[in-house]
Amino acid sequence: MMLKIKPNELLNSAEICAAKGQNALTAMFGADERELGAGYAIYILFTDLVSHDIKTIRVDFPADSELTYESLTPLYPAAAWYEREINDMFGLRPLGHPDLRTLVLHETFPWGYYPLRKDVDAKKQIRGQREYNMSTAQGNGVFEVAVGPIHAGIIEPGHFRFSQAGEDILQLDAKLFFTHRGIEKLVEGKSIDEALIIVERICGACTIANTLSYCQALEKLTEEKVPKYAWLLRMLLAEVERLYNHVGDTGNLCAGLGFAPIVSMGSALKEKIMHCNESLAGNRFLRGIIIPGGVRKAISPETLRELQVTLAEVEKGYENIVELLANHSDFLNRVHATGIVRKQTAVDLALVGVAARASGIDVDCRRDLPYGYYHTMNFDVPVEHSGDVYARLVIREREVTQSLKLLRQIINNLENSATQELSYENANYRTEEGSWGISESARGSNLHWLMLDKKQKIYRLFVRSASYPNWPALTMAVQGDIIPDFPLINKSFELCYACVDR
Amino acid sequence: MVDLGQQVIFLLIQLMLLTLVAPLVSGITKKLKAYMQNRLGASIFQGYYDLAKLWQKPTVITAYTSNIFLAAPFIYLLSVLLAAAVLPLGFSVNVVLGDIFVFISLLAIGRFIMTLSSLDAGTSFGGMGGSRELYISALVEPVMLLAVLSAALQPGTTSIAGMHINYTTHYFTISSALSCCAFFAILLAENGCIPVDNPDTHLELTMIHECMTLEYSGRLLAIIHLASMVKGLLIINIFSLLFFPVNLPLLIKIIITAAAIAVVESLNNKMRLFKVRFYMVTAGVLLLLAIVAQ
Repeated sequence: MMLKIKPNELLNSAEICAAKGQNALTAMFGADERELGAGYAIYILFTDLVSHDIKTIRVDFPADSELTYESLTPLYPAAAWYEREINDMFGLRPLGHPDLRTLVLHETFPWGYYPLRKDVDAKKQIRGQREYNMSTAQGNGVFEVAVGPIHAGIIEPGHFRFSQAGEDILQLDAKLFFTHRGIEKLVEGKSIDEALIIVERICGACTIANTLSYCQALEKLTEEKVPKYAWLLRMLLAEVERLYNHVGDTGNLCAGLGFAPIVSMGSALKEKIMHCNESLAGNRFLRGIIIPGGVRKAISPETLRELQVTLAEVEKGYENIVELLANHSDFLNRVHATGIVRKQTAVDLALVGVAARASGIDVDCRRDLPYGYYHTMNFDVPVEHSGDVYARLVIREREVTQSLKLLRQIINNLENSATQELSYENANYRTEEGSWGISESARGSNLHWLMLDKKQKIYRLFVRSASYPNWPALTMAVQGDIIPDFPLINKSFELCYACVDR
Repeated sequence: MVDLGQQVIFLLIQLMLLTLVAPLVSGITKKLKAYMQNRLGASIFQGYYDLAKLWQKPTVITAYTSNIFLAAPFIYLLSVLLAAAVLPLGFSVNVVLGDIFVFISLLAIGRFIMTLSSLDAGTSFGGMGGSRELYISALVEPVMLLAVLSAALQPGTTSIAGMHINYTTHYFTISSALSCCAFFAILLAENGCIPVDNPDTHLELTMIHECMTLEYSGRLLAIIHLASMVKGLLIINIFSLLFFPVNLPLLIKIIITAAAIAVVESLNNKMRLFKVRFYMVTAGVLLLLAIVAQ
């Protein structure tokens, strides 16, 4: 469903689509459609849990009009980052935004540079100066702790500014997007297959989720159907990806509190699954196997057997980890009531994935916006209510069980599948029409929005991976905790820098 | 009667031995820890390689520091070596250089100067590390004195040698078992081990001891590392001399203690910073019981 409106109707339309806050703000992004004779546009996507669909609002900005609109952020705090990004990328300015600092473009960019506008040549070197003030607390005895962007471990860059009163965190501001790659600009004008290769590499840990969202957005633009066998294999890959992420993240969480043996156990188990990935896709990160229309190759019975053996090992090993953690009072003492995200905060920020489910929001787009053959499968969506590190850990633990359950059903289906049809052939995609694709990654819902031009090349691709809405939750979760607990809280979210630096 | 010159030579041998062995003991602990965590781990001589590496690196000093920053590593090492000279390891039996209070005070001087230097560069991490170190030491020191009291009560002396001779005749009492447990807890806190501090972490926000030395590099850092390793060995020595419940050669006691540290560090995670006080109170109560049991 798409609602086309003028900027001054935005607040009313948003209220209708949000249905009194029942429907979460799923994404918001700009587009430069001047070449199509439509000026600029802002798309706002709400997930409707009743009709299992996404409601879209399209705000038109004629190119010669004033490029401003009334900010949604005061009503829907989840819009804060999206509006800042649209302001950076397109120069469409939200009025009444409480914090309209630059988000993506840091100090080295000049003011008035809007890279996602079609007439801007992104390859041209550009230098400039703008301000980026970190938001800090003031007061007697309050001091700041600056961490990053270069960290002691081998992780991606992010700058964190803590405002401290002793060990207590008063406020945290995160400056991200240091290694923004401009992928959305890069793919414009590229063919569908060229863009696929780039989309696969947005994030190392969410290859399948990103590819699946991209392919689904495309497949909505044609009447051709993806064969069932291909869908089963895609779901298999998606669950394997979730599994290796969750297993590794469970171990990594323990690195935040210096519990080294569990970190080793988690890495060892994750490595086992990644070995299996190599047999499945030819590489450890599951690249190159999903293509628009289906999958590139079938799974051999040997690989299927290897996978089954690995799954049995992983199940046993993971149960061992879960049991060790569940009976370790010192460990439980650290994770209980640490880094709490309240349910209202989670609703306001429209959190997704593990972080949302740990705070009592029952969302999972495998069930809510069903794709593939998930609706024929039997699985539960675990929900916890305490919103702390412990809840996020337990959600992961229970999702591993669910993924294993799903994988067994999928393998069963694959074994009984009569045909091995891999994909449809030579589809012609509708052009100049937007379409979205969504998939549930290990970190939450991953959304791609796509529009093709007349030559079947990418006109606009918008990527919103799960970490994007969840990053601001981190700054909320640490308030009231002490600074030595930050690494643990951070690891419990397992947020991805590359996912937002797209 | 051995003459003074010989005494000095013996003392120097003791200091050299302690300094030379310290990196090895820390290396053994790390190796054992690695085994228990399903890792191969670095060689047990890694401590020496690290010191050699740091020694070859240039020393970077920020312009915001005073001379305290330069002097602190040397004062730290000197205080630790002086404390090492107090230990009765069989080389200097007849010379009484000081008792257990001198020993504890010398270590306190080292901690004081390091805390001061952590504030010197004016970075927030240094201040955080310094404040945490003092918080921990404010908890450790009274309990340490209780431990001394429990060990000194029976022999009626505070000389380490005297307490040691007395202790060898009183193994396996309820009192000694209690104070052994309590002092092991103190040892973990004093040496910056899990559950109080994590010596292996790269997470600067959670560090305590490592946090104070973040501004140091090159040779100054090498001196600090060496001093810390010697200090760790000294505490293990005190534990072995006064609180180890079985009579074994000193070297074996040291290795067993190092192994025990590795086990505890592998089975536990770091506790919440503000929970350390309950941990130290537990050690204190054990010591009170130990004193009562005498």
